[in-house]
Amino acid sequence: MAMRELVTGGAACAVPGSSSSSNPLGAFANALIGSSSQKERLQEIPTSTLNTSGNNLYSGAGEPLSALPGAESEQHLQHESKGSEFVSGFHAANDNRLADVWDGIQNPQIPHFPGREGQTTFPLGHPQLQPELNGPPQRVLSSFLHSFVNSSHGGVPFGPTQLPILGLSEGDKRCIRDRSSIMARHFFADKSEDFINGQVNALLSSLEIDNHALARGHISGRHSELEQYWNEPQIMTPGPHTGDGWADEFAQHRVGQGDPNAWALSFERQHGAGGWASEFEHEQAQMTSVGRMAGANIPSLAAMEQTRMLAHTLAQNSNPKFQNSKFLQFVSKMSRGELTIEDNQVKPASGDWANEYQQQYNAGPSSWADQGPDRWADDFAAERAHHGPVDEQWVNEFSKLQVNDWADEFGRQVGEGVLGDDSADNWASAYDEYLNEQAVVKQKSDASRGVYVFSDLNPYVGHPDPLREGQELFRKGLLSEAVLALEAEVLKNPENAEGWRLLGVAHAENDDDQQAIASMMRAQEADPTNLEVLLALGVSHTNELEQQAALKYLYSWLRHHPEYGKIAPPELSDSLYYADVARTFNEAAQMSPEDADVHIVLGVLYNLSREYDKAIESFQTALKLKPRDYSLWNKLGATQANSVQSADAIYAYQRALDLKPNYVRAWANMGISYANQGMYEDSIRYYVRALAMNPKADNAWQYLRISLSCASRNDMMEACDSRNLDVLQKEFPL
Amino acid sequence: MASSDLKSAALMDQMKAHFSTDAGKAITKKIGLVYQINIAPKKIGFNEEIYVVDLKKGEVTKGPYEGGKPDATFSFTDADFIKIATGKMNPQFAFMRGAMKVKGSLSAAQKFTPDIFPKPSKM
Repeated sequence: MAMRELVTGGAACAVPGSSSSSNPLGAFANALIGSSSQKERLQEIPTSTLNTSGNNLYSGAGEPLSALPGAESEQHLQHESKGSEFVSGFHAANDNRLADVWDGIQNPQIPHFPGREGQTTFPLGHPQLQPELNGPPQRVLSSFLHSFVNSSHGGVPFGPTQLPILGLSEGDKRCIRDRSSIMARHFFADKSEDFINGQVNALLSSLEIDNHALARGHISGRHSELEQYWNEPQIMTPGPHTGDGWADEFAQHRVGQGDPNAWALSFERQHGAGGWASEFEHEQAQMTSVGRMAGANIPSLAAMEQTRMLAHTLAQNSNPKFQNSKFLQFVSKMSRGELTIEDNQVKPASGDWANEYQQQYNAGPSSWADQGPDRWADDFAAERAHHGPVDEQWVNEFSKLQVNDWADEFGRQVGEGVLGDDSADNWASAYDEYLNEQAVVKQKSDASRGVYVFSDLNPYVGHPDPLREGQELFRKGLLSEAVLALEAEVLKNPENAEGWRLLGVAHAENDDDQQAIASMMRAQEADPTNLEVLLALGVSHTNELEQQAALKYLYSWLRHHPEYGKIAPPELSDSLYYADVARTFNEAAQMSPEDADVHIVLGVLYNLSREYDKAIESFQTALKLKPRDYSLWNKLGATQANSVQSADAIYAYQRALDLKPNYVRAWANMGISYANQGMYEDSIRYYVRALAMNPKADNAWQYLRISLSCASRNDMMEACDSRNLDVLQKEFPL
Repeated sequence: MASSDLKSAALMDQMKAHFSTDAGKAITKKIGLVYQINIAPKKIGFNEEIYVVDLKKGEVTKGPYEGGKPDATFSFTDADFIKIATGKMNPQFAFMRGAMKVKGSLSAAQKFTPDIFPKPSKM
């Protein structure tokens, strides 16, 4: 789980000052705790091991009883093993959320309660807080713990209840006690210490856990070194907390959660694996039940261990670039979680934490859904909410990754140099890239949403007749200049369909389909029936593999065609089936076989259905009628290339380039065809040529990078990444 | 119309054809692994279409792998798979964003790079 936090919480945790409300970790925590309080949801969740006869977890069957904390503590329960079974059963069921919350706040420091009693007479007028007390013990425990968590949301006092004998082991009890003490301080951050103690005592006494008897149990003097280690972090007081700091803090806290393993690991570092093993076994025997209590947490412990190993391995990598990377900083920060375990005092900022948390909770998923539909946190929460069967959750997904868990494997392989020298580097840059992406993501999403993105500095703004200038530049083949002039035109006359159309054509020829689509959509707004615009939109969407959108525009082309419009049934326009559209187009082609345009549209349509042979035939027919149409030659070439006839494709592209030497798209397509034939050196030259004409052709940059790597030209990678065309052109002349 | 609305389906078709070429065969020689790729239209895990890209035999098949255990299984959304296959997003980066889920051995997963996929050409 720690590793996942690296993934989800990465940016926010590593970048100071990022808003906590956009922190995926916050969302994550929110999802965990939030959903644990949602009884309805929980009840929808299929339980894997529970006997479902007791359908309502909160039936309110409980009788209020006053029990004094500690009073029954002597009744140590017999069924150790049984108790662990209960606990693990309860985890196997639906309580991972609770367990996670529980674990999240787990902190092995032992709270010292003043032993105050008489907190147990809280009013009990909240039936929803009454756990069900009948049924199998794990159900009782589960619902009981839930009711405790629920009591936090309303700030309602939690009443002690007499529970049936649960058979909790010592380890279980200790675990519950520790976690509840700490969790309560987070839940009730705004309440007084007395109140918190009361809550916890009520819980513990109901579970017959003695707050004192166990107090020193789990780190007895046996592990003196461990204890030293242990005390260290507690001396460290967390720095000043701001509202923004909470998530980070919480992340560290969570990372530090895995007490037994963290100890073991710390211990291992000091004493080496051998000595550690026996100690650990000893420890583990005692902690088995804690581990079981952790249930869902076991993967997270494993993941944390991996994080630590990862950080350790990475730290030994002497590559300075890597050493300075934020990725490493972040990983080591994560793994240091075990050393910065917070004590359980209530911090001034904890109030903020709680409020923030509550706000997020209230706001529900929407606050973090804003981060974009593809955010994984979103998916994750949705998955959990909708069908949280244990198996489907990523925590477990993650833990199911064979013995060679990826971080493990990764650490090993980096260590052994199996992945090559650049591997760690790649990870580092991938992470940096991830951070950088956050900054540019908005701009990019604008473009992909069909919003036209104008250039910043445009010398043609203020030009007396930018349209004419743009047409002239386009005719000369100066596409990038033409784009600027045409942008100036549509800024001046936003309703000029021809300005937008030509701008779209220029972008398409310049190999930028996103901008082409954005311009063409504006052209279509201004002139909804322009056939060239409709065809261009159909082509661009086909290139982007957007089948439905493409089909819609191609059909509109037919509908608005002065001749073929009458054979296009209007009722089709709502729900388009490819077969109907294709049939209608074939009719049209038979009506006037001499019309090149209908063959072109048909060719595009066959591309859409990936009937490449038919598409090639259509384009060849059209080319007989329009042999000087360079974009048609390119269409033929692209179709041939996509149906793995790369050699033919190169011939077609060459024809296109003979007719229009500055046709960036054809140059880029040339590169693709060479690359697809495994001729990477050649492909590089064509990509560089295309980029020299339009440095904004992002696709070509990406393909260039791939070809460089395939051609083992990593020496030029930096020039590619920094988009240094001078170097690239010198190195790869065409 | 093609049987799938996924963009990735187009790429998988191209991949299938690509294996008949010398370059495609070179890739199978170089990688020699079997990848199962689960592609979801919108959200990972929902309505997934499953493809097996068998870089041992040089085949793309639809449906879960039947020859035992794939070396690695990836889950993507349709859009993210396209981004990765066309080099717009690198796989590690995708992993960190949670845009890619991986099962299987990492050494196998590490060889899953954009250069194994043919690039679509544009009309």
